[in-house]
Amino acid sequence: MVTPVIAIDNLHVKLGRREILKGISCRLGASGEGKAIGLLGPNGAGKSTLIQTLLGFHKPSSGSAQILGLDCHKQSAQVKARIGYMPENDSFISDMTAVAFLRLMGEISGMPPAAALEKAHEVLFHVGLGEARYRPVGTYSLGMKQMAKLAQAIIHGPQLVILDEPTNGLDPAARQRMLILIREMKEQHGMNVLLCSHLLRDVEEVCDEVVILKDGLIVHQSDLEAERSSNRRFVQLEVAGDDSKLAEAFQSIGAEAASESPGVWRVVLPREIEIGVLWRLAARENLRVTKLAYRRDTLEEIFLKAVGHLRATPVTKQEAPVHGGI
Amino acid sequence: MAVFRRGYQRYTGPLVSPWQRLLVIPRFVWPRLLSQRFVVVLLVVSLFWPLACSVFVYFANHLELLQNNGAGPLAKVLAINGAFFSVFMNVQSTFAMILAAVAGPGLIAPDLANNALPLYFARPLSRWTYILARMIVLLSILSLVTLIPGLFVFGMQASMAGWDWFVAHWTYGTGIALGFLLWMITVSLVAMTSSAYVKWRVVAGALVMAFFFVLTGVGQIVNQVLRVQWGSLLSPGYLMLTIWGRLLGVETPWEGGPDATECMLALFVLIGVLLAVLLRKLRPVEVVS
Repeated sequence: MVTPVIAIDNLHVKLGRREILKGISCRLGASGEGKAIGLLGPNGAGKSTLIQTLLGFHKPSSGSAQILGLDCHKQSAQVKARIGYMPENDSFISDMTAVAFLRLMGEISGMPPAAALEKAHEVLFHVGLGEARYRPVGTYSLGMKQMAKLAQAIIHGPQLVILDEPTNGLDPAARQRMLILIREMKEQHGMNVLLCSHLLRDVEEVCDEVVILKDGLIVHQSDLEAERSSNRRFVQLEVAGDDSKLAEAFQSIGAEAASESPGVWRVVLPREIEIGVLWRLAARENLRVTKLAYRRDTLEEIFLKAVGHLRATPVTKQEAPVHGGI
Repeated sequence: MAVFRRGYQRYTGPLVSPWQRLLVIPRFVWPRLLSQRFVVVLLVVSLFWPLACSVFVYFANHLELLQNNGAGPLAKVLAINGAFFSVFMNVQSTFAMILAAVAGPGLIAPDLANNALPLYFARPLSRWTYILARMIVLLSILSLVTLIPGLFVFGMQASMAGWDWFVAHWTYGTGIALGFLLWMITVSLVAMTSSAYVKWRVVAGALVMAFFFVLTGVGQIVNQVLRVQWGSLLSPGYLMLTIWGRLLGVETPWEGGPDATECMLALFVLIGVLLAVLLRKLRPVEVVS
């Protein structure tokens, strides 16, 4: 059985008298696979509390949270040896050079001094701070500080990297660079990433799974990759001409279809059928295709639906068929 | 291959033991501390008195030198006993307090000001380990002006006076070690707590000094107003002098008042309170309840 990267079971966390996490349960990622998990939610949903609980900063009032099969509270030291954390706010030692700062962080993580020094240089080049590595971190620009924070989170080669708003305050080029680095972390280095961000596009670009929190509860959890591949089977087709025989044509290739209005169709393609078949089908029926698009249930729609700001997406699997079929 | 050409690879090598990790912070802090000119000057100045005491010990064990120079009456006062080591400890403990006030404030305040604590505590480093690591920094620096010179002077006396003297007075050695250790722990905790709560170094340093004087003053006020003697338990100076008196077998200059056992208990309470206050501040995240 594959160990999940994060396993949360009926987790309750109280801060003072307020209950922030109200019994959440989920299993995210699979160890050794290098997945990115997006953690979303409106302000005050409990995202930071969840991250801090995973880091062992808060004691659960009941339930449990595990990382890579280890209890975050009871086996805190072992858990922390396997994770890297990039906090949201500025966190560094200002009068230290980036190399010294990273070396210190590496050594505290348990790396021998020589290896920590070597990795400090290596990671700083990797994140694009090679030329500035002997400058005190306090003199860095915001974007450079973000990169330095990322560098300290990965210097010891953790199995899970927790990134809290990594693209905050970055210009578009730096943001893109950060996202590329995160993607590399999971694809090339096999690290698991827990990405907490307000920027849905960042999560959509990088993450494979997403969890949406609201008021201390999980209101949505999905596999973005599965959503993307299922979305690829849903097609919206608009044609000009006599489409009275089109329903039969769809049936002939095994697709299910429903007409919303004259010339407007929704089609569910079988897995083995490529979208190009529809062009040939339309040509055979002497129809001119005016629009052919995949259904796109964006993360923003998923998010808004989950937090209750959107009742339904424009096209969804649950919608009732207009003229039968789907 | 050059580092910048190699690209990033995850570290998969061996990890060091937790005990080695404990010394990582001191290793990084010592050079920064010793790069402060004032700290170095203070360290040097605070070694003058042990040097003078060493000379004193030498002459005390070579009375013939003084007698040959017509200093016979002076030789009578050159006795190496508990009172001698008590004076030595009093002077050096004052230097230790000043050194802690200078070196201590830079230990924790920068981490708090730069929000570095989450970075430390997201790693296999607990709050206790963090405090212990910071304390090692101060204890080692303070040892240079207290424990090491103290034991050096004692050792010098023991080597010159012979085995019989050592057997009869070995308690001076343990008294110096234990007495200085208690003082160093107290002073270090005061300095670290001050550093954790006050951002400005000068103010934090002044607070360290004030802590000892103000508490002594408060203790005196309590004694005068309530016509009691236990108010002295509030004074760290009183506590230490009483404990040292017992350890070195020396009479304390005051009549009555709490005894050494009560002072030791009060000192442990003080250390406990300082630790609790320090731990309360050293949190990776602020929780507003």
